[in-house]
Amino acid sequence: MPPLNYFVVESPDEVGREAYERIVGDVLQDLDLIKVIDRLHIYVDPKVPIFVAVGLLRHMPRAIRIADFANVNRGENEIVLDIGDETYLAPLLQILWAIYGKEHVDQPDRFTVVLPAGVAGDEDLDRLVVADPSETLYKDVIYALQYIAPEGFKVRRQYIREGKFYYVASEDTLPTDIVETAVVPLFEKMGVTL
Amino acid sequence: MTTLVPVTYKGGVYRHDEIMDLIDDLGGYIVQKHVMAQDVVLQSFVPRDDIEMIRRIAKPLAGEVTEAPLVGTEIAVVSPSLEIHHLPHISCDVAEYLRRSGAKTNMVGLARGFGKRIANLNDEERDVINEHDLAVYALGNFEECIQQKFPVLRREIHVPIVVTGAPDREALMRVIDPPVEGYVGGVGRIMHRFKRPEELAKLDELVDEVSRVLDARRDALAKDPLSVFPPRLMTIIEEQIHEVSMLTHPTPVTAQMEGLRVKLPYDSYADTVRSLEVAEGVTVGDIADVTPSRMRNYILIRIKPFSETRILV
Repeated sequence: MPPLNYFVVESPDEVGREAYERIVGDVLQDLDLIKVIDRLHIYVDPKVPIFVAVGLLRHMPRAIRIADFANVNRGENEIVLDIGDETYLAPLLQILWAIYGKEHVDQPDRFTVVLPAGVAGDEDLDRLVVADPSETLYKDVIYALQYIAPEGFKVRRQYIREGKFYYVASEDTLPTDIVETAVVPLFEKMGVTL
Repeated sequence: MTTLVPVTYKGGVYRHDEIMDLIDDLGGYIVQKHVMAQDVVLQSFVPRDDIEMIRRIAKPLAGEVTEAPLVGTEIAVVSPSLEIHHLPHISCDVAEYLRRSGAKTNMVGLARGFGKRIANLNDEERDVINEHDLAVYALGNFEECIQQKFPVLRREIHVPIVVTGAPDREALMRVIDPPVEGYVGGVGRIMHRFKRPEELAKLDELVDEVSRVLDARRDALAKDPLSVFPPRLMTIIEEQIHEVSMLTHPTPVTAQMEGLRVKLPYDSYADTVRSLEVAEGVTVGDIADVTPSRMRNYILIRIKPFSETRILV
């Protein structure tokens, strides 16, 4: 299982508990969230029925800038971007088209982008922010928990703020005090106050 | 009477037509033919005594003949839903593994099969499952949930059922009442491809369980044989109704243990099929019920037993 600092699955059904431990490992690995989640405590009881997941996030990934994945080579008349990793090429082109206009952004091959030199602000080109992975991270974490929770548990309450998150789901209507009765005690077990 | 046994032939495309002719000449039937790039897989029934001869003739062509207990059966793999929670793993892995043993599998993703209290089965799902030879239910991790929802998911299902779930076999047997025909424990909601040896062993166990259940059905059928052997009727339909050869389905006519599914529109072809002559003076309508299938607009043929028709073709 992943190198989380704290990972516990609790359930009255021992077979189900082991199965959920494996499911969590697989889902976090598939969605590449192992490096993002620091601690995770899950409680699942099909008799109630209830699924509670509480946890802490690690530091957020930083914004991706051009310098992170491309070399900026400045010539007299043009700037040549030598792309090392294509992952962020599509958002990069969108941004460059907005700044330079589509007709001035030349892409002779997959790994090269040629821009005209001398446009205002191009001295900071390598610091230009292309994408911010933390924007979608919250969605990814909640999606992972939806994916882990039993499918029939459609009624849910979720929270993610300042590095803490919880996700409560059930098949039946959730009681109004569910956070106090089910979520807070799990955070306490991890030694954290909500 | 020679006994036909289900086998799979795997070999190259080169000269595979000779093998097909050989099986035909020996009085066997080819139920499915797959051509994948350079390879050919034939699911067929051949006389037991002639298997060695086929092996010998196929040897120079690098073809191999293996026993495939599930050839000529159509199996429904029932998944509680088509959501990411249940697919692609388990359901697809199970379906694929059964296919390797020769079965034709169909995935039945229930519209509302999830949840302990809210699970249900609609009439279309029920009828589609009942059109198969056997249904494999891929259930989840909690004993409690299986106990509560399974009675709803099996309501009005008459075909044999094999249940898979995370609780062990004994636990499944304890919570399922009345009992079903087969159980495979230790396979619950799994979110990765089955690849570890113990997981593959579970799939082998499932194939054994399914074959055991179907063998029992075959034994029962042997006591009151069908009026015509389904693969034989299949060959006749393929020869006589030339539209079948123009269908693009992988199995335009699917063989089942007690009938066939013909993938032609019922309204236009039912009468043609009914009046088709199987042997002199005997038509399909005399020895089988030709009914509309709940699966698209296909035709479902249910062959009647000898005791009912007094005809054996």
